[in-house]
Amino acid sequence: MAGRIVITATGIISALGRGTGEQLQALTQKKAGLRHALHLKTKHAGEFLLGEVDYSNDELSAILNLPQGDNGYTRTTLLALAAMQELFEKTGVDIYTKGAFALINANTVGGMCSVEDMYLDFLAEKKEGPFLKYIDTLDCAESTLNIARYFNIKPFTATISTACSSSANAIILGSRMIQLGLVNKAICGGCDALSRFTLNGFNSLKNVDKEASRPFDQSRFGLNLGEGAGYLLLEKEEDAINRGADILAVLSGYANTNDAYHPTAPSPEGDGAYMTMQLALDKAGLTANDLDYVNAHGTATINNDAAEGKALQRLFTDKQPYFSSTKPFTGHTLAAAGSVEAIFSILALQNNITLPNLNFTTPMPELQIQPVTEAIRTNMQHVLSNSFGFGGNNVSLIFSRA
Amino acid sequence: MMKPVYILSASIVSPQQHYEHEGFLDDLKSSHDGTLYITEPNYRQYINPVAIRRMSKLLKMGISCGMNALKQAGIEKPDAIITGTGRGSMVDTEQFLLDMIKMEEEALTPTSFIQSTYNSVNGWLALQTKSNGYNQTYVNRGTSLELSLFDTQMFLNETNEKSYVLAGCFDEITPDYIKVKQKVGYWKQPSPNSLYLLNNSATPGTIAGEGAAFFTLSNNSDNAICSLQSLQMLQDAGVDEVRDAVNTTLSQSSLSLNDIDVIICGMNGDIRQQAVYDAIIAGSPSHTTIAAFKHLCGEYDTSSGFAVWMATEFFSTQQVPDILLLKKGNHANIKNVLIVNHYILNSTSVILLQASLQ
Repeated sequence: MAGRIVITATGIISALGRGTGEQLQALTQKKAGLRHALHLKTKHAGEFLLGEVDYSNDELSAILNLPQGDNGYTRTTLLALAAMQELFEKTGVDIYTKGAFALINANTVGGMCSVEDMYLDFLAEKKEGPFLKYIDTLDCAESTLNIARYFNIKPFTATISTACSSSANAIILGSRMIQLGLVNKAICGGCDALSRFTLNGFNSLKNVDKEASRPFDQSRFGLNLGEGAGYLLLEKEEDAINRGADILAVLSGYANTNDAYHPTAPSPEGDGAYMTMQLALDKAGLTANDLDYVNAHGTATINNDAAEGKALQRLFTDKQPYFSSTKPFTGHTLAAAGSVEAIFSILALQNNITLPNLNFTTPMPELQIQPVTEAIRTNMQHVLSNSFGFGGNNVSLIFSRA
Repeated sequence: MMKPVYILSASIVSPQQHYEHEGFLDDLKSSHDGTLYITEPNYRQYINPVAIRRMSKLLKMGISCGMNALKQAGIEKPDAIITGTGRGSMVDTEQFLLDMIKMEEEALTPTSFIQSTYNSVNGWLALQTKSNGYNQTYVNRGTSLELSLFDTQMFLNETNEKSYVLAGCFDEITPDYIKVKQKVGYWKQPSPNSLYLLNNSATPGTIAGEGAAFFTLSNNSDNAICSLQSLQMLQDAGVDEVRDAVNTTLSQSSLSLNDIDVIICGMNGDIRQQAVYDAIIAGSPSHTTIAAFKHLCGEYDTSSGFAVWMATEFFSTQQVPDILLLKKGNHANIKNVLIVNHYILNSTSVILLQASLQ
């Protein structure tokens, strides 16, 4: 085995801003990024609060030195490139030329954000136009391959789609590949842009809140959708030390399980969530008492928060844990949520500060535990981040101080 | 470098045959319209009868094929379920998308939205087998099946305990998908009879296909059909890079091209993708058989699943059916099979399989 796997750089864009610094500032100042959509061309724009990234496609293209207008890059890819730009600015590209490295991306609906506006043109006989540049952009790998092409790198590439746990799974795969000696470094994360497809899809499930979501609150109704991208550089601790890199955190534990309970709903007593967190703790050689903060999946849907809350309660038998959902800040960024919240969890760890659970007023009657609603300074050694998805795909990650 | 892992069973749903069929490519199907749709099995013996009514074709073929692979291996509850799909359920994706456009974002029902998620087959397989273990879905265009096999090899190398993984792939085509991709020249015009696709390799374009393939793999060689030695995935690679990948793959198993009995090539009739195969064929020794398959299953993101299934049949029957032959070699038996597959969107994979000594 390769010893400990550490995180040495991050890149992120979300409704809270571009770059890791802007995220921390908004999180600690309790400034949510939700708004009514300005860029998503939906009939429901004035109706739902969404975690939309501030920048338009043209503004993102300008940041990336890409042509304006229909340039063939979907918003999904533009978000991915913007987040990766931060990571590469921090690390340079030279470190990737020494030995094999992996780019492991995650995504749920590919370039649907573009395709949904062009689909009738796609189907129209003999019609031509700039939309043709988008014909191969619907699948999830388009953002992955565009990252490699844009930054002119030739990594081992993989794209994962396990719904809302996708990018947490990307982090696990990267760590495993390094442990097995298959690559030296792995850039892992995910991206998703808001689309009418997902907004209407979740809305047809009747679990989207029009107002700001209220995780772990008795009055919660559903989630807010969001968009974003987040990437983390994973490498062996000894490699990071040898090249003098800043070590942000150690990935000390992880688990991937399946509920095997229902196609979309979690097991009501949170058995799946409990098992996943417990396995991650086992992997890290820790107990729940060692955890200083949990960044919950906390979508604010009736089912998730009941199941996850009960699982947390079962896990923490000896102490009241600090836990919160940061989704009222960013909206649920779907495939990006795992990596975005992994970065948030690392920020909490590095800064010894809990991340506030916004909009919490009334405890859930079935829970004796309550989320932390303030940015509280407290010594942190270990934090856990949950990501649970449709299809019963559960992931927990544990990050520890180096 | 990872240790080989063992394929214990292989199951197929394809345009040619599905898992209920006993023979091996002995009842050939063909088409004239540039599409090869699957022949559908009776799904009911493998899928919950209440759930089946609302399922689209992709879910049914994926779930039933996976369950059949487990049944063949005598495994009820695998330790992991790892799949790959290029496009997931196209039918459900298109349906929800078109409904949303037509209904102007009002009064939509969630079934097709839920089923359009790429991991829905995995979720159902976990549910039906009560498998709480590792569960993963890769969506990486032409190397999605390969990633599922690669992760399977990783998973089985990470433990010393006897473990079983269900790995596989599924993709489907739809009339709208054919229409959309025609705009960027995917398909051969005019469409030849599918069985003669490879006789029409001087022009661009191919024919569309679909299917599911599932395999039970273990780190234990008992009752194995063959081993998965190693595999490589490349993106935007030139002829030289592919040749290097072949050589690396072979040398990792201490083999050379001379040791390969059959090379399965993924040529799809499109002259734009022929160069990779021409180089492989030119470099192969005279005793090596060269086999092709996309005239039988069509081109799709996870068509290499059909090729891996074919290879397991080669090992079991020690025969390469004539319909597959590009060149018949004079090897004594079939021990080592190399699969080289190139996909339209410029990905290439190299897979090395070796017969198990019983």
